[in-house]
Amino acid sequence: MSAINTIAFKPALCDGCGECMTACSTVKSVNGSAAQSRIQIIADPLKGSWELALCRQCGDPRCVADCPAAALSKEANGGLISWDAEKCVNCLLCTAGCVYAGIAFSADEGRVVKCDQCGGDPQCVKACPTQALTYLTSASIYNRWGDLEDLFVPGLGGCQGCNTEIVMRHTLRRVGSNTVLATPPGCIPGMGSVGYNGMAGTKVPVFHPLLTNTASMLTGIRRQFKRKGRNVTAMALAGDGGAGDVGFQSLSGAAERGEEILFVCVDNEGYMNTGAQRSGSTPYGAWTATTPLGTEAHGKVQDSKNMPLLMMWHRCAYVATASTAFMEDLYEKLEKALAASDHGFAYLHIYSPCTSGWRFPSGNNIEVARKAVETNFAILWEYQPDQGLRLSRPIDKPLPVVEYLKLLGKFKHLDAAQIQHIENHVAEQTKLFSELAGIGKGVERLAAAAPLSAGHERSSVSERLTR
Amino acid sequence: MERYDYLVVGASHAGLEAVRAIRAHDATGSIAMLNRDPVLPYSPTVLPYVVSGRSKEDRVALRDHPWFESLQTAYLERTQVSAVDAAKAVVRCADGKEIGYGKLLLATGAKPIIPPVSGLDGVPYHVLRTLDDALALRNAMGTAKHAVVLGAGLVGMHAAENLAKGKCQVTVVEMRDQVLPGYFDAEAAAMISAAFTGNGVEMLTKHRVTSVAKQGQQCVVKLENGEQRIADLLLVATGVTPEVDFLKGALDIERGIIVDEFMRTRVANVWAAGDVVQTRSFFGDGTPAGGILPDAVEQGRTAGMDMAGDPGVTPYPGGIPLNTYNFFGNRALSVGRDLPANAGTEWEVLRRNSAASASEPARYLKIVLRDNCLQGIFGVNVLFDPGIMWELILRRTNLSELRQQLLDHPQDTARAVMSGIWR
Amino acid sequence: MSAVLKPKNKVLVCDGNEAAAWGVVLSRPDMVAGYPITPQSSLVEYLAQFIADGVLDAEMVEAEGEHSVLSVLQGAALAGGRTYTASCGQGLAFMFEPYFRTPNLRLPIVMSIVTRDGISPQCVWGGQQDAMTVREVGWIQMFCETVQEVLDTTVMAYKIAENHSVMLPVNVNHDGNYLSNGIVRIELPDQDEVDQYLGDKDVNWHVALDPQRPMAVDPLTGGSAGTGPALFTRYRQGQCEGMQNSLGVIVEAHKEWAQRFGRSFAPLIEEYRLEDADYAIITIGSMAGAGKDVVDAARNRGERVGLIKIKTMRPFPIDAMAAALNKVRAVGVVDRSVCFGWNSGPVFQETLAAMYYARERIPCLSMIGGLAGADLTEVHFERAVRETAKLLAGPCPRQPIWLNAQD
Ligand SMILES: Cc1cc2nc3c(=O)[nH]c(=O)nc-3n(C[C@H](O)[C@H](O)[C@H](O)COP(=O)(O)OP(=O)(O)OC[C@H]3O[C@@H](n4cnc5c(N)ncnc54)[C@H](O)[C@@H]3O)c2cc1C
Repeated sequence: MSAINTIAFKPALCDGCGECMTACSTVKSVNGSAAQSRIQIIADPLKGSWELALCRQCGDPRCVADCPAAALSKEANGGLISWDAEKCVNCLLCTAGCVYAGIAFSADEGRVVKCDQCGGDPQCVKACPTQALTYLTSASIYNRWGDLEDLFVPGLGGCQGCNTEIVMRHTLRRVGSNTVLATPPGCIPGMGSVGYNGMAGTKVPVFHPLLTNTASMLTGIRRQFKRKGRNVTAMALAGDGGAGDVGFQSLSGAAERGEEILFVCVDNEGYMNTGAQRSGSTPYGAWTATTPLGTEAHGKVQDSKNMPLLMMWHRCAYVATASTAFMEDLYEKLEKALAASDHGFAYLHIYSPCTSGWRFPSGNNIEVARKAVETNFAILWEYQPDQGLRLSRPIDKPLPVVEYLKLLGKFKHLDAAQIQHIENHVAEQTKLFSELAGIGKGVERLAAAAPLSAGHERSSVSERLTR
Repeated sequence: MERYDYLVVGASHAGLEAVRAIRAHDATGSIAMLNRDPVLPYSPTVLPYVVSGRSKEDRVALRDHPWFESLQTAYLERTQVSAVDAAKAVVRCADGKEIGYGKLLLATGAKPIIPPVSGLDGVPYHVLRTLDDALALRNAMGTAKHAVVLGAGLVGMHAAENLAKGKCQVTVVEMRDQVLPGYFDAEAAAMISAAFTGNGVEMLTKHRVTSVAKQGQQCVVKLENGEQRIADLLLVATGVTPEVDFLKGALDIERGIIVDEFMRTRVANVWAAGDVVQTRSFFGDGTPAGGILPDAVEQGRTAGMDMAGDPGVTPYPGGIPLNTYNFFGNRALSVGRDLPANAGTEWEVLRRNSAASASEPARYLKIVLRDNCLQGIFGVNVLFDPGIMWELILRRTNLSELRQQLLDHPQDTARAVMSGIWR
Repeated sequence: MSAVLKPKNKVLVCDGNEAAAWGVVLSRPDMVAGYPITPQSSLVEYLAQFIADGVLDAEMVEAEGEHSVLSVLQGAALAGGRTYTASCGQGLAFMFEPYFRTPNLRLPIVMSIVTRDGISPQCVWGGQQDAMTVREVGWIQMFCETVQEVLDTTVMAYKIAENHSVMLPVNVNHDGNYLSNGIVRIELPDQDEVDQYLGDKDVNWHVALDPQRPMAVDPLTGGSAGTGPALFTRYRQGQCEGMQNSLGVIVEAHKEWAQRFGRSFAPLIEEYRLEDADYAIITIGSMAGAGKDVVDAARNRGERVGLIKIKTMRPFPIDAMAAALNKVRAVGVVDRSVCFGWNSGPVFQETLAAMYYARERIPCLSMIGGLAGADLTEVHFERAVRETAKLLAGPCPRQPIWLNAQD
């Protein structure tokens, strides 16, 4: 069964301007009248709020079940509910099945009308000036990858609501079984992904490297298979400590050598498996077990180091940051990282809120991840050598940083000065990334003007100098 | 012996929805759907359109073979069940074959009632329930000059309109005092009746046929008041009765198979849904319930989920009448019940109407409330979303402050309320 | 040593590092990883050059440190590759984390230790402190006496490591400076003959990271739950068995080598002029040459002295050592490194332990020399012989004799 892209509606952002209806009727209706728009924004007469009538392209559509003439069907591919003018007998029974007013009789057209999402480019969404309407295409992830096998065993022993487990399961199922997976000591093997007592936790070959040598062991594995003519994905699912602190040397070395590795860093901002100690990735002000609170101390006193940026300066084949609150973006980047790992080093840095170590209710996981991004605390971007750095979403209108900080127990103690410090840091990072993205655009223009030569030319230095 | 974990007898709205619901929860159990007809499933509701020529008979299949394949369901056409042996958990087919089941759903629908009119078995007449019926009727319509339709229900009214449009002189005979009794209130019914009269159809409500007799190629229809009509074509559309003869008393049957709120019959591992069951009214009163397509779907879903053990199943709330009816370019919609005869002060009726003008058709809207909750809504040429009204009735949504808006703008007001409830 | 020179054998004039590199070339590894450190550097340079020239068809990984060097090879071995590296001193110390794990993963990696003393004081010179310090970790350790033996042992090391009853990594050690830089004439064995000697590679039949044979390498064991510590204990037991099995395998490998190539080396313990000896000196590594010369001279003087040389330090050939000790009445051990807690050298300590299995307890003297590249010449060995001879009549000192203390 396939899932369907959705036109999502945020009533709080809607001001009832009606642009969506105008846009829809312009392209859809016979006489341009907004009354025939397939999307209807209606004022709630009591609450004064704006409400929506629109086809939800339901999974088990009652309009289809109620149609006696086989005029409505849910498309196997993409999941839209389509209407067949030739078969429709205008009995209106479909409208009896719908509780969203997603299909309704149009007096002007003398037939029922419904939204067809404009073939994937909904005009109403484009016309919406307040972002009350958005086109969520995340269903395509499900359609493309929904049937892929989960390659971890069920019942890994992660904490309740663990974000890292989400990252693990999603990434590996996409990367697939022709993979050797390295999980350096930390939460990832700690929850049982390598296995216990002689039993495996993963359906692909998996191992604990040392905390320090993940990228090096993968180097040997990838190169040995390549030597034997086999293209095996060498993949790491590593924590931020293993990647960025004690394991950084081997990571940096492999990246510099351009080893063909897919290195996924799951950043939970500390050593969470061993009881939430500080790492180089722990942000300023955060409580950890080794940056405790006391009369003389109020959490970590240094800012975190920006690992993905460090990796970018290695000129890896691909570097990106991602978040489970933005799965579509994550999958897109995973896709690119996987492709890049075929010819070079790919580094994917995924922010991974830790319910236990950051001290927030496990149900808030995705919300925390989302707020981190929406406040620019964690900026989503990607880098490719020939395209420079690009921002994945706009960073010019962030939510206030406190909207993020207040969600987390590890920041509960912050005083005004500490908050100010974090705000400054976030602002500074935002500025830096805006600038880097600007440089990226320059690179793009340059590349467009004179495409970089591909392939491995073997011209001698003197030849090049005389060109 | 063939055996299926789930055996669904009847291939129409109730059965199809049940198959979908079963497969949604049970990915592996074997399913078979039996249909006595030699074709892919079709809906009886589409038959008037086959008669009129709007629908081509080869394009009315509700589902195709790939659909059954995708749900790993065996579709066995030309397989008529002639008996159910619940003790052995098998059904016997007309050709003698036995099919075993783990769980059985009876969704065999209904068949036309043939009224005890004297002489009826001696004359050729039409009914409309199957595709064959429709094709025969369509054929006969081509040459008929005079037609008599017994019964002013949806089937009869649809046929009368088709016949009238085919330049045939039509008489509709209805025993009760209005057309579409039980579907529409008297006022809407009167508007509908007027449209028919205006189009040359003779509407004889409160009339009874006493006998029919053959007269050459035609037949003579005698009425209680002594009048008579000559017909080239006689259509009997006086209602339906559940298709239960083949059960031969194997189940408890009153006005249909008796089921509980999960569509379970009183026999273990046997469910029933759709026109074949005796549907309880949502209102718990004498309001007619069941016999309509959306109810068949609801019941099919409930039965399928319960059969598969889907924990998401909720009890079937009871039937709420619902009709969408197009006639001579007008649209009549009805959901719920009318004001009862003995209504107390907690009942309230809101009403508006406007007569036809040169550019506008006549419009009519009636809203029935009880304790500020919607009970029924009836409209002619006034648009609203029947699905939303149905849901508002089901949810017993309090509409006290919205009464006037609902009357003035029934569509937008109900949409706004519903949209707010969803969030 | 025999000098049967087969016509097709090449003759080379080279140092121990180049000889080791040729041994690697002949063994056809899939992957070589390296990181420079004195006095090993030229060894990996030779290999890089051989690969660049197409003499050796292997992956070369110039890792960013020794820690990664061995880690890369672990990965390659788990993926089925034959692998090689070399290191020493601080490099070995930095490598310790993966080094420590290699035998536990039962990976048949071969690594030369071009032995070097440990800092501080800062020094870049030879000495066996590095190899001796890691002798308890589970690698097979063999010490070479000559440049030719370095080449030959490097090849033999693969045969030993990859034996199914062994499956353990092997260190082929040669002394920094003396062997690494001393240039001599050696013979290069024929490649076809070496190919036959080594047979097919079969590196990861027992433990693999390969999507065609998915398995979890190193799931968490032990603890109070599940199988408890028993699984871990059985694993260690098997490792010890592999180590003991290697004693016989090492002997066989040397025997076959001698048959094929006409050169034989004592595989475990060499007994030199021990038959009618009253006493003996015990040596390890390249110093044995000077020791043997001094023994010859003493014999000429009529002294009944012999020499015991250790080639295989791990596993320690206890029985061979006990048998050699049975032939004499006193021994003096010359160590090229220090065993701090015993106030002696490590070979001395091992000798004492093996003596438990000898017929009787005989006087045993610890002498330490050759640290930080210090010379161990005939002068030093003459003293060693002298001091050992004293044990036959006089008391046995508990203090070590520091042979280069006055140089
Ligand atoms: C002309 C007409 C117009 C209608 N218009 C409307 C309308 O406008 N709105 C509305 O809501 N409803 C309307 N209805 C009613 C609606 O069609 C029914 O409520 C609905 O079809 C009931 O569905 P069901 O699945 O219960 O049974 P049915 O649709 O009756 O299907 C029964 C199925 O069982 C099969 N079957 C029967 N007996 C056996 C047997 N012994 N063995 C094997 N198979 C068997 C039949 O072949 C058929 O496939 C109309 C009905 C008719 C006839």
